[in-house]
Amino acid sequence: MLLTLVVGVSTLWLAATGQLILYIHPRYVVFTVIMIAIGMVLSLGVLALVPARDDHDHEHEAPGEAPAGPRRPRRRRRGRAGLRGAAVTVGALVTVGIAVALVVLPPATLTSATAGQRDVNSSTASLNGTTVADAEAGDADAYKSFSVLDWAGLLRQTSDLAFFEGKTADVVGFVVPAGDDPDTFYVSRFVVTCCAVDAQPVGVPVQLDDWQSQLQADEWVDVSGGFRANQSSASTDPVALVPDSLEKVGQPSDPYLY
Amino acid sequence: MSAPLLHRDPSHDHHDHGVVAPGRGPGRGPRRASRTPLLVVGGAVALLLLVVRLASPALGPGLLPDVAQDFVTLTISVIVESMPFVLLGIVLSIIVQVWLPQAFFTSWLPRQPLLRRAVISFLGMFLPVCECGNVPLARGLVLKGFTVSESMTFLLAAPILNPITIITTHQAFGWSDGILVARLLGGFLIANLIGWLYSRHPDPESLLTKSFAAECALPTDHAHGGGRLRESVELFRREMSTMMPALFIGAAIAGGIQTAVPRSVLVTLGSNPVWSVLAMMVLAFVISLCSNVDAFFVLPFATTFMPGGIAAFLVFGPIIDVKMLALLRTTYRPKVLAQLTLVVALTSAAIGLVVNFFA
Repeated sequence: MLLTLVVGVSTLWLAATGQLILYIHPRYVVFTVIMIAIGMVLSLGVLALVPARDDHDHEHEAPGEAPAGPRRPRRRRRGRAGLRGAAVTVGALVTVGIAVALVVLPPATLTSATAGQRDVNSSTASLNGTTVADAEAGDADAYKSFSVLDWAGLLRQTSDLAFFEGKTADVVGFVVPAGDDPDTFYVSRFVVTCCAVDAQPVGVPVQLDDWQSQLQADEWVDVSGGFRANQSSASTDPVALVPDSLEKVGQPSDPYLY
Repeated sequence: MSAPLLHRDPSHDHHDHGVVAPGRGPGRGPRRASRTPLLVVGGAVALLLLVVRLASPALGPGLLPDVAQDFVTLTISVIVESMPFVLLGIVLSIIVQVWLPQAFFTSWLPRQPLLRRAVISFLGMFLPVCECGNVPLARGLVLKGFTVSESMTFLLAAPILNPITIITTHQAFGWSDGILVARLLGGFLIANLIGWLYSRHPDPESLLTKSFAAECALPTDHAHGGGRLRESVELFRREMSTMMPALFIGAAIAGGIQTAVPRSVLVTLGSNPVWSVLAMMVLAFVISLCSNVDAFFVLPFATTFMPGGIAAFLVFGPIIDVKMLALLRTTYRPKVLAQLTLVVALTSAAIGLVVNFFA
């Protein structure tokens, strides 16, 4: 029951502070809150109603304790009991650890470590953004509102510099190193389908010589600039954003894209 | 938590010092005279958790190294995402066990076993719960008179053959490459195959864990006085105390594997007809997503992987993954789960290879 309370309290707190979306997709928030509330009410019921049934439970324990399966020789049982004991201890430790983390640790977004491990732009999640055709149909102002997802998608679909000519991108994302390249980094966001566990990183390559002297991985930045052919020799991206302005910003309250 | 449970009982004892009355520990303690103190204690614990939670932001970011922090974030996201579905499954299970008339299912289901299982495969259309919510519901159905093999058919079919999954899969893929058809047919086929295989088992009770079998052996209508409400609440307590540790551990394993194994390893295998199927099945196993939305997750992979791999992902994932195995472990013995995994894996792989052959 304690685990239920732990998850219930933490989830409701996350929802109340608007941080539930750090873990799950916004479309689930209402459903989650309703179900957790029902769960808390039922837990209240457990606390209020159950104790008087103690005697019955003890009666039922007796037939339950008798092994339902075939009897095993004593020695094997003891060896199995040892292994079971170890598994139980590990399981208990993990459960307690996570319960503590749920209540104590501040909620966090996924870091660039995961972005690196999942390879920015490796999946075609970036294709969920705007297509080239749609982009060309839009007017100049529309580009200002394009996110990292949209630009990453466009860069994926075409590396034709003529398309990017004269267009200014203004995106917010966190810094992910592009391999060992000292002159390029990715301004990235995670794209989430269902919950953080399926998050895919997408990013726009930014060319800034020796960026490591100014920026660290995981810092959130607002980058604005035009696209040029990537001068950096180590990079795999043919086109990169060359910043006209770059400022550090705080982590936005909705860090994931959908 | 004094009901007979799986071997994770001691973890409950660690937790429950604050919440559970002393008389409910493993020993036979004295019966509590009044129930108000437990409510007060429980309320106090909840309040304490809330206070800790409210104070915690003062700890600030950057407490843990990046990788450890991501592991925690991923694990918590699986828990937070699954929890409402598990709760929904338990609520439905309680409704099935306590509030529906005894013969509700037995009266209109066909008698012939094969046909019966086929109909049961479609029960998910009326009880649309995510795959994790299905486990408590299946337990409830067994307690209501389903045979073990019928419960397995339901468990395997319901995550795929339900309206939400069908709609989201169609939204993601339409009718292209036969992926939707493969998913639906494959799910139905596997569910009935497993049900048929296990219906031939001479001793179905031995497939269940000791603790769940004992639950099934309890007489269904005790003279408990206090009626259905109390029984509902008691069921809730029992199911939650079984499901929660399983959920935590399953989530931790899923989070751990995701943190440790680079995804690029799987992606490079995408264009080979055989490896694409196997790689996607491994991904489905590890990522433990709810079947309602896994179609959207795998859609971006559709251009890198052959359609057979996608189909195998969509068939294997809802049935067998790290989180599900942890939850199923509450009800079925490990040997059964191993057999189940093997049969489902082979059938899913076969379906994927067939789709690739025609692609």
